[in-house]
Amino acid sequence: MANVEVHPDRVISPPLRWRELWLKEDWWAIWLGLGIVALAYGLFANGSSIHWLAVTPAKWSTWSQLGAHFAANYDRYIAQFLVWLAVFTVALTALGYKARDFVPSFVFLYALSVVIFTIGQWDKANTYDLEPPLVALVVGLALSNVFGLPRWLDAGFRVEFYVKTGIVLLGATLPFTLILWAGPTAILQASIVSIITFLVIYWVAIKLGLDKRLAATLGAGGAVCGVSAAIAIAGAVGAKKEDAPIAITTVIIWAVAMIFVLPFIAEYLHLPAGVGGAWIGTSEFADAAGIAAAQTYGNLAGHGDVAGTGDQAIFAYTLIKVVGRDVWIGIWAFVLAIIATTQWDRTETGRKPEAAEIWWRFPKFVIGFLLASLLITAVTAGYSLADFNKTVVPSLVGPIKDLRTWAFIFCFLSIGLTTRFGELASAGKRPFLAFSAGAIVNVIIGFILSAIVFAAHWENLTP
Amino acid sequence: MDELKLRVQSECRSCRHFRNDAQYLEAAFAGLTSLSSAFGSVRSDDGICLRHDRYLSARSFCSDFSPAAAS
Repeated sequence: MANVEVHPDRVISPPLRWRELWLKEDWWAIWLGLGIVALAYGLFANGSSIHWLAVTPAKWSTWSQLGAHFAANYDRYIAQFLVWLAVFTVALTALGYKARDFVPSFVFLYALSVVIFTIGQWDKANTYDLEPPLVALVVGLALSNVFGLPRWLDAGFRVEFYVKTGIVLLGATLPFTLILWAGPTAILQASIVSIITFLVIYWVAIKLGLDKRLAATLGAGGAVCGVSAAIAIAGAVGAKKEDAPIAITTVIIWAVAMIFVLPFIAEYLHLPAGVGGAWIGTSEFADAAGIAAAQTYGNLAGHGDVAGTGDQAIFAYTLIKVVGRDVWIGIWAFVLAIIATTQWDRTETGRKPEAAEIWWRFPKFVIGFLLASLLITAVTAGYSLADFNKTVVPSLVGPIKDLRTWAFIFCFLSIGLTTRFGELASAGKRPFLAFSAGAIVNVIIGFILSAIVFAAHWENLTP
Repeated sequence: MDELKLRVQSECRSCRHFRNDAQYLEAAFAGLTSLSSAFGSVRSDDGICLRHDRYLSARSFCSDFSPAAAS
């Protein structure tokens, strides 16, 4: 029998139902993201703007310029910090964290984010490849793996919460018409790659003698949305307790490596920004890691060999990853739960797969992303292109984009600050080989679809 | 008592061997918070069965069910 650790004081956890609205970070990302969008629009509609709060470091080339910027805007940074602190504290307290742990952690995170953002705005940053996502990741990894940070600080390093909030805000900067136009291709491309990648990982894993439930957990991690998919499928099929950490380790190693590799291979191959973004969306594993890679590539756009705009890389990535891959996790879980309970070896436990699982596991933050896009598209539909660029961009869409960038920097730093390689579970050679086989196939097919089959589609992705 | 309540009472979610609070899972699964979280919708309410060492849905059931304290 397994090592049993009974908790006599454990109480029943009732079904989530409506409580999900305040007990899941997906919903909090929606409340925060849509709240910011609504506030921004409210101010815009009354002739004002959220611009003052959405301060970001300006481009600089000398220390005196930098000093002058902060001297003139320190009150805006303080206000912005207090607003982020207040809204995140409310959300994380509702999720069960203690404010006394979160507050000092977020102070540290925000201060470091200002430094990272400022480095990215240096006029020589591109020359030295000091892309903010990569700098954030390297600094975070160094702090957590070389110097070490106290464990309680993790309360503020909420990678997934920040990336979901950023993606909801991203929706406000992405026209809904573009989602309708590019969405079907994104779904088709992502589905082809997801199914092939899953089957390759599953087949190789079985050939290597791994358990079917572990094979499915690894397959979903590589094919759908990384660690989140791996734990969703592990739960759906009733995997062994050690299967999820094996998949987590494997995904992290591959995903972190791909953040550094994919943008520079895409640059070396002179891929246009939209094509590079689509390839990253098809080939990265986790949303947070993919956004880091896509934003890095977006920052390279317009410099040297990368044609297009930064937005094209981010938009193509998001369409493929979020619309094409993430939203199908519930269906993967439902189908695999049926297969596990009817076809695979029986375990000590049983369950009846329910179609409602598709909704239970649906990544709800996507609803916020779509609503934000729909809202801003609707309220700005009456503007001519000239008026949109003259009025809407600087007063409404631009500031939301700046706040989105902050949320993503919090995320990138948090990836590094929470990834402690020495503490990861040992993945084992066979799971790593199986996953790697799928990852390589994924990268190749993703490249063929993004850069050859659908190249014109992604290259011309224009709001 | 309706059928749903009866079913919920015999599911893993009501068993003392089952743990599915998010902070517990994030501590149990090393690296989970690096690129994901236990607070996401995709996890639904899955958790760990400490009796059988399995990670499974709170809607699962087995013959070793032992009721947890009522909340």
